Amino acid sequence: MDTLAFLAQGFAVAMTPTNLLLALFGCIAGTMIGSLPGLGPVNGVAILIPLAFTLGLDPTSALILLSAVYYGAMYGGRISSIILNIPGDEPAIMTTLDGYPMAKKGKAAEALAISGVASFIGATVATLGLTLFAPLLAKAAIYFGPADYFALYVLAFATIGGVSGMNPMKTLLAACIGLMLATVGLDPSTGTARYTGGSYDLYDGFDPIVAIVGLFAISEMLMLFEGNLGATAIPSVGRVVPRMKDILFSLGATLRGSAVGFIAGILPGAGASLGAVMSYSVEKRVSDKNKTFGTGDPRGVAAPEAGNNAASGAALIPMLTLGVPGSGTTAVMLAMLISFNVQPGPLLFQNQPDIVWGLIASLYIANIVLLVLNIPFIGLFTRLLMLPQWVLMPFVLIVSFLGVFAISNSVHGLLVMIAFGVLGYVLRKMEISLIPVVLGVLLGGDMEDNLRRALSISGGDPWILVHSPISIGLYIATAALLVIAFVFAERSTPAPGTSHNVK
Amino acid sequence: MSDRILGILFLGLSIWYGYTAGSYEASFGDPLGPSAFPQIISVPAALVSLGLIFRPDPDPAWSRGTVLLRQVAALVLFVAYALTLVPLGFVLSTFLAVSLFAKLMGAPWVKAGVAGLILSPALFVLFDVLLGLPLPLAPSL
Repeated sequence: MDTLAFLAQGFAVAMTPTNLLLALFGCIAGTMIGSLPGLGPVNGVAILIPLAFTLGLDPTSALILLSAVYYGAMYGGRISSIILNIPGDEPAIMTTLDGYPMAKKGKAAEALAISGVASFIGATVATLGLTLFAPLLAKAAIYFGPADYFALYVLAFATIGGVSGMNPMKTLLAACIGLMLATVGLDPSTGTARYTGGSYDLYDGFDPIVAIVGLFAISEMLMLFEGNLGATAIPSVGRVVPRMKDILFSLGATLRGSAVGFIAGILPGAGASLGAVMSYSVEKRVSDKNKTFGTGDPRGVAAPEAGNNAASGAALIPMLTLGVPGSGTTAVMLAMLISFNVQPGPLLFQNQPDIVWGLIASLYIANIVLLVLNIPFIGLFTRLLMLPQWVLMPFVLIVSFLGVFAISNSVHGLLVMIAFGVLGYVLRKMEISLIPVVLGVLLGGDMEDNLRRALSISGGDPWILVHSPISIGLYIATAALLVIAFVFAERSTPAPGTSHNVK
Repeated sequence: MSDRILGILFLGLSIWYGYTAGSYEASFGDPLGPSAFPQIISVPAALVSLGLIFRPDPDPAWSRGTVLLRQVAALVLFVAYALTLVPLGFVLSTFLAVSLFAKLMGAPWVKAGVAGLILSPALFVLFDVLLGLPLPLAPSL
């Protein structure tokens, strides 16, 4: 069978000493970053991207490192959610609902063990799904023409973050900001300088990586001044040993959460944040017979953690096969691939199978490493929560500056990064998601390119945009998801204090 | 209120953005040309800003007092670090940046200085010597 042969080839790539070491380092670093209060996977990957560049890694190794960080941060994110009630990112909010009550009842160790196993199962389901479905989708994606890609971008922009309960208008605003920023610079097909104000430094436009490090890492450092800068006192957790009884009790919830999360994750744009939310609400509807959800029910910890991890793995599928990321973090990883001159999409599977299958194989490895790290060694990570911020943040500062300096080789790049940091800070304060901005900067050029190519083919006839069944289907999906998003936003007002750190 | 201000600013920006796009010349063989895509974006951008003006969210808690001062100081520090990295050399500018940043984040002076003393040469060795990223070492005065 094709897939197995490719997978074996992937393991050969992933098992080289360098890549194994990178996966291990990525798992540790990711769990560390994820476990720090307020720092989610997007920030983790954004902070470590400069490192991938300064290390001079080849694209495969860099992708392995960042995916290990990504998976690790998804695992680590539950630690601060459960112990401190501070979610690192949006999906982790669902874990606080039952995780923190469990910790308050003195069952922090149980909650961490159950969620660790649930994360493992969720991530494994997603990785299996990725192995099976990604090649199929890549085959289908070959039939996408420019007009279909344009429709796909519209879908991604209209839906990303839109279903997560944040003000959908602000998400659209963020997408517009990103698309506007993407048009700055020389127009690739005609060479016209657009919005450069005559400055030669802007002729190349904004490098997505520089924008991302600014938007996430720099704005994060500014945000930190508003929180607790000192050390946090945390309850001692003790030994974390998963017990068969607990695991079996929550196994149904874990499996249901994994399935729901996986399906949500495949959606381009909306994916990963939706996974945890949907898994929790499905589980609540299925299992909450005695109204124990929200008071520390282990199934309420298992379901969203499984969903969260399944969705983040599934979010890699649209990123790799279509070049349209399914979550904020995969958007950041896409930016990195593009700067390595690797264009994700259906052709990636044909032309560079080493990258795809090496990545998939290393995800299996990372998952096992993470299970080991997150059950017996979890005490080490909980102790990290006690470090004061000034120990870690200067390191983040220098790595961000050096990475951007290495990419742009100019002081101009550093100043652009700082400017994006201020923009990111203001947007986050106003509860405007940063993900669509990143997506805009990243995909705006391709979106325009595909639109112009489609109209060149048709000689300027706009009907080509809705000519193929693929594009019509995508527009219908977009409209449906937008309607759901606005209805959702009307009905649910986010609880105060839960959303200010959301990205 | 914050949302309204943002909405008004962004409305102005999108009008300017769409208007400026009109000045970019179209070329042959490309039915859309460089001006169409920005003009298309400016429409939803303007609509969304109108939405913000008429249906704003409650204001976020903007920082004030010491917190605001520290954030501004941190920004000044970032810019100063970016501008001094080449002229002062990596080791000296990084020592200053790390120490001052740690101090801003609440470390006592001595510990902040020690953090700078350790981190700046350690990172130089890590990035320049081990990872081969050429960094400006000495002050280039």
